[in-house]
Amino acid sequence: MHHTYRRRVVLRGVDFDLGSHVLAGIVGENGAGKTTLLKILAGELRADCGAVRHRGRFGYCPQEVVLNDALTVRQHLEFFQTAFALDDLRHAERVMEALQFSEYADVRAGVLSGGTRQKLNLTLALMHDPQVLLLDEPYQGFDWDTYQRFWELAAQLRDAGRSVLVVSHLAYDTERRDELWRLEAGTLRLETAAAA
Amino acid sequence: MRRHLSLFTTATRYDLIEHARNRFAMLLVVFFIPTWVGLVYLTIPDRAAPFRLASTGERLAPAGHELTQITGALNAVTLVTGFMMFASTFSGGRFDRRLAMAGYPRTHLVLAKAASLVLASALLAAYATAAMCIAWTPKQPYLLAAALFCAALTYGAIGVVLGSLLRREVEGMFALVMTSVIDIALQNPIVSAGADNPLTHLLPTYGSVQAATAAGFSTTSAPAYLALQLLWFAVAALLGLLAFHHRTRNALPRPNRHHRPTTAEPRDAAPLEAERAPASSLDPSPGPRN
Repeated sequence: MHHTYRRRVVLRGVDFDLGSHVLAGIVGENGAGKTTLLKILAGELRADCGAVRHRGRFGYCPQEVVLNDALTVRQHLEFFQTAFALDDLRHAERVMEALQFSEYADVRAGVLSGGTRQKLNLTLALMHDPQVLLLDEPYQGFDWDTYQRFWELAAQLRDAGRSVLVVSHLAYDTERRDELWRLEAGTLRLETAAAA
Repeated sequence: MRRHLSLFTTATRYDLIEHARNRFAMLLVVFFIPTWVGLVYLTIPDRAAPFRLASTGERLAPAGHELTQITGALNAVTLVTGFMMFASTFSGGRFDRRLAMAGYPRTHLVLAKAASLVLASALLAAYATAAMCIAWTPKQPYLLAAALFCAALTYGAIGVVLGSLLRREVEGMFALVMTSVIDIALQNPIVSAGADNPLTHLLPTYGSVQAATAAGFSTTSAPAYLALQLLWFAVAALLGLLAFHHRTRNALPRPNRHHRPTTAEPRDAAPLEAERAPASSLDPSPGPRN
């Protein structure tokens, strides 16, 4: 996959395969092209050259929180329930419980704290139980407990057969990921891989 | 059919909730319209303003404050709908895209926005007409309301276009205010000596100004001018639609768009169920799968 912004080459030959039962991470410095790569994987951006192939439905959590400030948490869930054609919100409620923000169900997004907004942002990406998860800096604004719970959740999803890709600028807690890739100079380099 | 109805009603409900929670727009609706038309009526002299109305071919000489109240009301309703639609488009662009990429059909999202605009425009037109009727009696109040309605629709669509194209909120506000003021002021014979200049025929609310003036001071109807205004609305709406389509595009090829659950594919689903972690506290739901 190749991508260029005007004259600045951001991705120059990225080839990446995300298998099931894998919790992978991509790290890189600011401006390395991580968000560009994830946007291409999620379909928000078209690569200049290359193709993306998904097997199974996917969930995408964008780096910037994308919510409607006028709607409550519950209204967000109901809106996306219709979008995903879900019969019920049981899975969304489990995600909310795991991230511990169920008590904010009737609060408008515009008055939520930054961390709770991010929890909702993440829940919207997970509520349809996707097989592939593309998460861009998903724990921004989380306190330590929530950060820990996020990784527990990611590990549970991985254990349940999902493919989880977490993009972040820090290679912190690297042992939590099965694979760690570094995006540098427009290419991906595998830093660590889990033992088979 | 039920799914289509559910998609439409859900999107419309949340679109209306969003508009209703736009407190500034609500304040404008409640106070700005009666204040604006009231002040115009009280401050503009009632001296007759003779001119020839193009839509009916009649020579009219209405009272200046009544004529200016009509252009003031047009100015007010166009600003309110323009502002409402601009604000919701400007702040909601990425949210709409997220919904579309999650599988929400863009047609239903657009129809919901159109329904909100029609409803808001109808309420505003009725409210502004009622506010004017307190001071004097237009000859054709329903035609007056229809002219205000069509102008409000047009500026709502212009608000969508500006909300999609401009990068900063203040730019959109300035563009809307200046467009509406220039558009309508140039057509008022009291304010502009060149109100009958052929160039004014190209202004966005020309059709509504002609129809509304006929409604106020003549018994002759002006359906062609309402149609002209609706043509302006159609063009602005088409531009808004193209901008919305561009902003909510999905770069993935169609077979890749598995964002929402579709028909089950046993090859994928079976191992997923079999290999699920038994002790997981976030047990994936047995809902629809690929």
